Order: sequence, then C-alpha cells, then structure tokens
Amino acid sequence: MILAVAGGKGGVGKTTLAYNVAAALDAVVVDTDLGMADLPSGRGPDLHDVLAGRADPIETLRSGPVEIVPCGRTLAGARACDLTRLESAIGRIERERGTVVLDCPAGRRSDAGVPLAVADASVLVASPRAFALADAVRTRELARELDAGLVGCAVNRVVEEPPTETIADALGAPVAVVPADPRVGRSVEDERPVVDNAPASDAAVAIRDIVRRVPR
Amino acid sequence: MGIRGTAGMDLAWTVEQDGGVSLVRCRVHNDEAVPRRVRLDSRLDGPVLPPRRAGVPERGWDAGGVVVRLAPSESRGVGFAAVADSVEPPVEVCAAEIETDNARIPGESDQSLAVPAETPPLTAIRTLGDHRPPRETVTDETADGSSGPDTKTDRPDDGDGDANGDGSEVDGDDAVPTAVGEWLDAVADRVGRAERLTDADLDAATDVVKETNGVDGVSDLRRRVETDAERLRAVSDRTAALAARAESTDVPIEALERLA
Repeated sequence: MILAVAGGKGGVGKTTLAYNVAAALDAVVVDTDLGMADLPSGRGPDLHDVLAGRADPIETLRSGPVEIVPCGRTLAGARACDLTRLESAIGRIERERGTVVLDCPAGRRSDAGVPLAVADASVLVASPRAFALADAVRTRELARELDAGLVGCAVNRVVEEPPTETIADALGAPVAVVPADPRVGRSVEDERPVVDNAPASDAAVAIRDIVRRVPR
Repeated sequence: MGIRGTAGMDLAWTVEQDGGVSLVRCRVHNDEAVPRRVRLDSRLDGPVLPPRRAGVPERGWDAGGVVVRLAPSESRGVGFAAVADSVEPPVEVCAAEIETDNARIPGESDQSLAVPAETPPLTAIRTLGDHRPPRETVTDETADGSSGPDTKTDRPDDGDGDANGDGSEVDGDDAVPTAVGEWLDAVADRVGRAERLTDADLDAATDVVKETNGVDGVSDLRRRVETDAERLRAVSDRTAALAARAESTDVPIEALERLA
C-alpha cells in the first residue's frame, strides 16, 4: 500500500504528518520533496541517487523509530532526478516493507503529481487558514485525476475550533483535526513519533483516526 | 530529400548529418478516406532518440520508431535523431492498418501497431510542469568559488572568452582558477553592458554604444552574449554534475591508513 501525504501549500506540516502517519501505520516514509527535503537525512545514498540511477532504493533505507528514505539537499541533485524512475523505486520498497508513506512536495508540478500517480491513496494536509484550504481543494482535484483516492484530510496546527464541516464539504472527505502541540512539531527532528511518545494526546488520537481510514 | 508511397501512405523525408548524429525529419500523409494507423521504423544503425517533453519520450515512440494515427487525408510531421550515419531511406513504413474506433481485436491486428500504454506517472510528467529547479539556481549553488584570486579586469571585450580555445582550455600549469576567473570577468563585463542596454533610455544606451565601438560593436556584443549564455550553461551543467559526483564520494582514508 502506498499512501501519499499531500497538500498544495508549503509549510502546513505535510512532513510532520507524513512521519507520524507512517509511525502509526508501521510504514516506511519517503521524502519525495526533491527540491526542499525536510525529513532527516543520513550519510548514505538518498532518493536523489535512486532517481539518478546511482543507488538501489533498498540501500537508502535509514533505520530509526520510523524507517526513512531521505532525499538529497542539492539543487543539482534535484535537477538530475528522473521522475520516471520513481514508480519502480517506490514499488520496490513496497514489496520489501509492505506500506510506504510518501511525503509529497508542495505545488502541483510533476514532482508533486508523480508521487500522487504512484500512490494508491492520499491524505491531504491543510492549515486552518482559508488559502491553505483553497490549495488543498486544488490538490484534491489533482489527486482525483491521478487516481490517488482521498481517504481524509488533516487540518493541522489547530488552535481554535476550525469549521470542520465546511472543510469536509469542500474536500468531500472526512476531516481530522490535529491540534497545535509542540510534541508534534518536534517529533520529526527528535525522531519521536507522537503516537509512541504521547499516545493519549489529542494529536495522536487524530493521527490514529486518519490511519484507520487507510485501506490495507 | 526523398519521397515514397506505400499502400496509400505517402512518406517524405530529409536527413541532416552533423557530428556523427543524423537528424531525420519526415512527413507522412494518409491518402485514403479512412483513419489509419501507421508505424514508421528507423533504418539507421542506432537507437532512435525520440522527441521528449520534460525528459519523457512523446507518446507513440519506442527504441525503433513511432506509431502515428492519421485521419483521412491528414498529414503529420515527425522527427528524431540517432547516433548513426545516415542511410537512404532513413525511415520506412513498417505497417499500416485501418484505425478501428480504438477498439482493437486481439490477435487480429499487427502487434507492432500497438501504442505503448500510458501509465499515470508518465501522464503526470507529461502534463504537469517540469519539476527541475532552473539551471540558474544550480549555477549559484556550485559557482561560489568562481571569483578568481587575481582579477585583471581592465581587458576590453576581446578577452580570451571569444576564441575557440576559451578559458576552459588550460594552457598554464596550475593556472586553472586564474583562467576561469579571467574568462568569467570578461563575460561579466559583456553581460553587464548588455544589461545596461536592456530597456535602457536613450542617454544610457548612447553611453554604452560609445563604449562598445558603435552599433557594429553592439551587434557583436549581442552575438557574444548569446554565445556566453550557451557556454555558461554548459559549464554550469558540467560543474553541477561534477559537484554531485564529488559530494557522493567517500574516500576511506582511515581504512587505507590501517592497511598501509
């Protein structure tokens, strides 16, 4: 099963959500943000190397509480990526590990589209701001065209009660509210997923709620 | 230039050869009153380099040729390159059949006329914008050591950047950074003048034209700046690739020292 965590806008917390959703799914998380990688990197080969034909996808797996496929940090590396290799690379990791979560880049160019095209299902991340919702709606359209069925939307870093119903209506998918919680914010950097670190927190409950809808 | 008609298909072509690469242009015309599908195969002795968009071959192409669909009396132009000497004719109509409303009866039609299936990732790559960061940004990332130590900037625009053996050719022993620095300075000088001429008002333009030896000098400048842009791109691509390779190396010095 390949799940894309997407959302048109940058900075809404896609990487954090992808990491924590992967933890709850016991999945590998792949940083497919070729130009602005966010997940922790390592010293070994990364997704840039795989998409440039220099490394086997399995070599790039980096162990930890959540297994990560990191992405390179250089623009030259991003330029050298051949997106046509992504499908077979992710397929290989899926065969090896079962479930794969793709942390998608912002925008709606091919680097955002191809992970959606490769995925079986998708989760959208939006912030409670109206413009982030507009981007999420556009990304939903893209996910629909590329056949990555939308299983839900995470409204992230919520401080005040958001208009959940409006968002669910606009996206046509169930909405999970992930409250602003510093433990979620730090979880990627500290490599301590909130579902393990604070299983009773509202954020962990929301993440498990999203994960329950993911077909397996 | 050649022309050939086969079974209601007219085919015309030209081949150009340059530096070991043949560029083939053809035009195929369906003479019949029914839509037809035709396969054109390269006869050149090398793999077909098809037209690409965002790095992906256009639909219908494979390593041997292309399948095109033609409406009644429709003409289509197709072209490709191959690293091979040209032959006559460079292409041939390998199969043609009547197009049947997309529904193809298995076993009844020629397999070579099947258009390769389009996967969702390929569709995404073809239809969405190119993901690659612009070349210019890559240049910034890799060319930070470019301002050479000694900069003799008083050279006029006939610096060593125009002759064929430009700064990339190392003529001194360890003079590489100086040569590269000088070349970049000469280029920066030309680009600076071209920038001042871009959307300039009359006064500013007059100054630059004077500096550049009149209108002839300016037309020369334009040609040179175009060449500069091409060369800078080529250098940037190469340095970026080298930097990526350099970054990914890991010389096991400790292990080697232990073994020594």
